[in-house]
Amino acid sequence: MPFAIEVAAQTDVGCVRADNEDNFGYDINCGIFVVCDGMGGLAAGEVASKIAVDTLLQYFQDRTGKSASSQNPSENVSPRARALGEAIQRANHAIREASAVQAGQAGMGSTIVCALVHENFVSFAHVGDSRIYLVRDGSIRQLTQDHSLVMQGLRLGLISSKQAASSKLQNVITRALGPEEIVEPDLDDMIAMSGDTLVLTSDGLTRVLTDEDLLACITAAPSVNDACAHLIDSAKEADCDDNVTCLLIRFVEERWYQSCIRRFRTGSDHGKAVS
Amino acid sequence: MAKLYLKFEDRVIREIALSVGVVTIGRQPDNLLQIDNPAVSGHHARVYWEQDHYVLEDNDSFNGTHINNRRVSKVALNDGDVALIGKHTLVFSAQGGEEVLAQSKSSDRSVAMQSQVDKVRPPQLDPTVILDTKRAKEMLARAAAAASATGAPAASGNIEGSPVNGPRVPSGRRIGTLTVLKGKTNAKYYVLSSKLSVIGRSEMATIRLNRWFAPQIAASIQQREDGYFVVGAGKNSRIKVNDSEIGSNQKELKAGDTIEVAGVRATFGFEG
Repeated sequence: MPFAIEVAAQTDVGCVRADNEDNFGYDINCGIFVVCDGMGGLAAGEVASKIAVDTLLQYFQDRTGKSASSQNPSENVSPRARALGEAIQRANHAIREASAVQAGQAGMGSTIVCALVHENFVSFAHVGDSRIYLVRDGSIRQLTQDHSLVMQGLRLGLISSKQAASSKLQNVITRALGPEEIVEPDLDDMIAMSGDTLVLTSDGLTRVLTDEDLLACITAAPSVNDACAHLIDSAKEADCDDNVTCLLIRFVEERWYQSCIRRFRTGSDHGKAVS
Repeated sequence: MAKLYLKFEDRVIREIALSVGVVTIGRQPDNLLQIDNPAVSGHHARVYWEQDHYVLEDNDSFNGTHINNRRVSKVALNDGDVALIGKHTLVFSAQGGEEVLAQSKSSDRSVAMQSQVDKVRPPQLDPTVILDTKRAKEMLARAAAAASATGAPAASGNIEGSPVNGPRVPSGRRIGTLTVLKGKTNAKYYVLSSKLSVIGRSEMATIRLNRWFAPQIAASIQQREDGYFVVGAGKNSRIKVNDSEIGSNQKELKAGDTIEVAGVRATFGFEG
């Protein structure tokens, strides 16, 4: 059965900061969804995250219909996931070039989390501490592992999860777009099922809300749009001191005639953007 | 590397390796060096690197910070200096071990990690800090070395049950294979080197079904740290492993297992 997707995304400056360094973007026809969290003073963070989002969208808008150009079959992910990896390399280059030209933007960087969706085949990638969660059948699972010192320490068994939660090193990330010539994204693939919701977020949201909070917000809301607004509100109620961004993708299985009606009405092959 | 020793009645109770960062001292738990004693102010004092030496600065604490019986607000620290904070003494040693983490006897390794990070973090830059890959690797390797050197069990409650000592060593993981016995597929033999191999009519599928009415995605085989698992693509997908339906569950695949889905019958095995 064909799949339709519903998308909602929202970003908020948060309760403390003056600027929003987060950016998001998506193109439902190409099936590309991106959330970036920039860093670097004097508005450079905003610039870096914008460059990353734009580069990703552009990359997939340019190659619509073409097959993945990335040819490295030794990697254990699909060609589509490899294409995400290639797009992320480009974004890294673009940020480095921009920071080399503009004096005020030297040293800027960004995290990235992105998903490439075709029907219910999802490839995803991330760099840094922005995350993807999967909400399925009333439970939530984090699909990405943060590239942060605390999470790596935790994975290596050097610190406990309690220490990790209370650590003052939450803000130290070990990978990002910008600082280094070559960036190493984590790539993966999955098959979505009907009713699944994917959540792409910046750390502003996940620092103040637990996995259970996320799950409660998403399952309680009647639509992705409400869920998205609810998540942002909850983060702000929790006094988040960072920018908060979330992008939700819900997979809905349709009967063939429903899909025909939708195509007729919206002219879109792939689904609808809610906000 | 310089060190601070926190002593109470001639007994060293904490030891902190100093670096180019700030060590906060006080009664509140958010201090790097917490002294849980009523004579100590919540945020009592700080020790940090200034240009070419360490300084101790009192944060206008109620009972003050004393060095050599003199109340101080901010002093440069010399080797062997003894500061009195409440009933505790703080001894500054200019020479310490080279290996910060390996010698840290503190059970709280996040403190050691913190001091490592402070070294690379200029104070008050951007809220998010990026460590370059090399430094991050060094730091984690050192922390891992410390963990195994002290022989202490890794902090309990780590969520993934990863090995206690040192970085996870990629085990000689074997690559799965699938041999098609029956059904129309685009090949008869597949090496499942991908993390996700899809079975279906979809162009995304690795195991491509050529039958006209086959589902786009019938099932997928996932390669994970702990083995290979077959999962149905939806609630109605019917998958049999060794002739019994797995329903909506996932099922780990062992060598010799047969999978039946969407008119295809295949056996799972390992390469080599």
